[in-house]
Amino acid sequence: MYRRSFKDTKSSLGSPNPNFSKPMVALRFLRALSLVRCSGPGARSPSYRARGIRRAAYACMAASAGPRRAWSRALLRKIRRRPGRGLRRPRAVIRRRRPVGGGDPLEVALRRLVPGGGCMEYCRLLEEAADYVKCLAMQVRLMQTIVDSASHVNSID
Amino acid sequence: MQPSSEEMEGMASSHPALQLELPNGSGGAGHDDFFEQMMSGFAPTAWPLGLGNRSILGPKSLEESPDGEGLNYAAPYDGSSLLASRLRMHHPGASPADSSMLLQIGEQMLLHPPGAASGGEPGGFLRLPLSLGNGGSGVSTSGVFGDRSRGDVDPPFESPNPTEAEALYNDGFSTGSLPRAAPAPLHQQVLQHPQNYGAATPTGQAPASGAAGGGTAPPKPRVRARRGQATDPHSIAERLRRERIAERMKALQELVPNGNKTDKASMLDEIIDYVKFLQLQVKVLSMSRLGGAAAVAPLVADRSSESGGVGRSGGAGTPGSNNESLTAAEHQVAKLLEEDMGSAMQYLQGKGLCLMPISLASAISSATCRPQLPPGLNLRHSAAGDAPPSPSMSVLTVQSSNVGSADPDGGKDGGYAP
Repeated sequence: MYRRSFKDTKSSLGSPNPNFSKPMVALRFLRALSLVRCSGPGARSPSYRARGIRRAAYACMAASAGPRRAWSRALLRKIRRRPGRGLRRPRAVIRRRRPVGGGDPLEVALRRLVPGGGCMEYCRLLEEAADYVKCLAMQVRLMQTIVDSASHVNSID
Repeated sequence: MQPSSEEMEGMASSHPALQLELPNGSGGAGHDDFFEQMMSGFAPTAWPLGLGNRSILGPKSLEESPDGEGLNYAAPYDGSSLLASRLRMHHPGASPADSSMLLQIGEQMLLHPPGAASGGEPGGFLRLPLSLGNGGSGVSTSGVFGDRSRGDVDPPFESPNPTEAEALYNDGFSTGSLPRAAPAPLHQQVLQHPQNYGAATPTGQAPASGAAGGGTAPPKPRVRARRGQATDPHSIAERLRRERIAERMKALQELVPNGNKTDKASMLDEIIDYVKFLQLQVKVLSMSRLGGAAAVAPLVADRSSESGGVGRSGGAGTPGSNNESLTAAEHQVAKLLEEDMGSAMQYLQGKGLCLMPISLASAISSATCRPQLPPGLNLRHSAAGDAPPSPSMSVLTVQSSNVGSADPDGGKDGGYAP
């Protein structure tokens, strides 16, 4: 259920490309988090909720990075595909532009790590990886801040 | 334009056909036809961007420098020899005036300063026609052009008459129709000239065929090959690619901490590790927020190879075999604590753990009193707020009995002391 809310969140906060504006990411993330919690703290197993939170984190990270980035598009696609949508868009997307020979194990590993990195050229891959790393780092800092503030609220005195 | 006319005369002497045009830009009747042909062929078909108002065959240029026109709209010559001779004439002894004259014609297309290189200007003309052939061949003359407007120049070239294009190609200055057989030797002669043209490998394809083929001009920016460097367009493209890759690697280097590795492979390694680390952090943070102890267990199992591992949960079903990872983590934290308190705290918090005073830990554990952890360690996963770690931390609580794990508030507390 909160998946739908994710999309709503994204669309409502839809800004073209607030690239790395931390407040935007924070806003989206908090909204998404609240939705996750609303879905029932006791209804699901903690692992499920953990996965949901993680997915929310990636989703809002990708959403705020903007559709201009290949990795953000691939990430959103991966996330939205999970619910098992049977109806795929008939829009044909040319996925494999250049099948990778995969000679360099490092390069292959990087492709696997960066979302959407399977069909990019090496140059593009590096560019996307840089952007992805930047965004990831910001997301991690954000989550850390949230956890810290939450833990401080509950601090035992 | 005195020297130029002298040059022209000199050149004309080698070719009687040229003499006709030398005196005036319009030349003889035959050349008038040419010009009309030219102008009709070229002027409408805009050489819009690349040439602007300075199309080689544009009427303006005709008016401005008749001499230049005379040279450029040279009579139909036949054969590469003409071009060769011209090049030789121009190339070695090209005077600045000469260059300027030539430059007038092609300055729009060439971004090289006048008189930059003696061979530059004639070469500039060569570039112009060479691009004609590039339309079809695609690669051969890719390295020739140094300007980025080349992409604009290309399309206009394809539309005009193939014959004219050929002529242009074969002779940098004229648009006479040339036999198609000429191009092959012409190519070679062109290529012989100093590499600053960046002439491509002699392609047997006639440039006319390329122009006639009307292939799409590759939009890649052309890099002018420097003297003495490889002029092969493949290598140029390779060099470009390598430069771009190096650029991106540098950007990545700044992002990734500890990015002072000079080796590309080790830098890639660092990047990969950093990405994995960040993804792991996201996972841990999402779990720690919930206090999902059970969820941490698979994480620990996965990451037992990772240095230190994650603080394992003391909840039900926790594998009891993670002592090694835990001790490793302890050691690491101890090491960190000695050097820098802040980083130690960050390390712990990154793993969802925190430091708490022993008294508190014992209090909590005794409160819950659920002996699930194996003796020897009191390690609890922090979810809800624990007391902020104080420097006066002390001993690792080695409690066997009352190692309580589950926190009353449903989360796991991580108390970890060196």
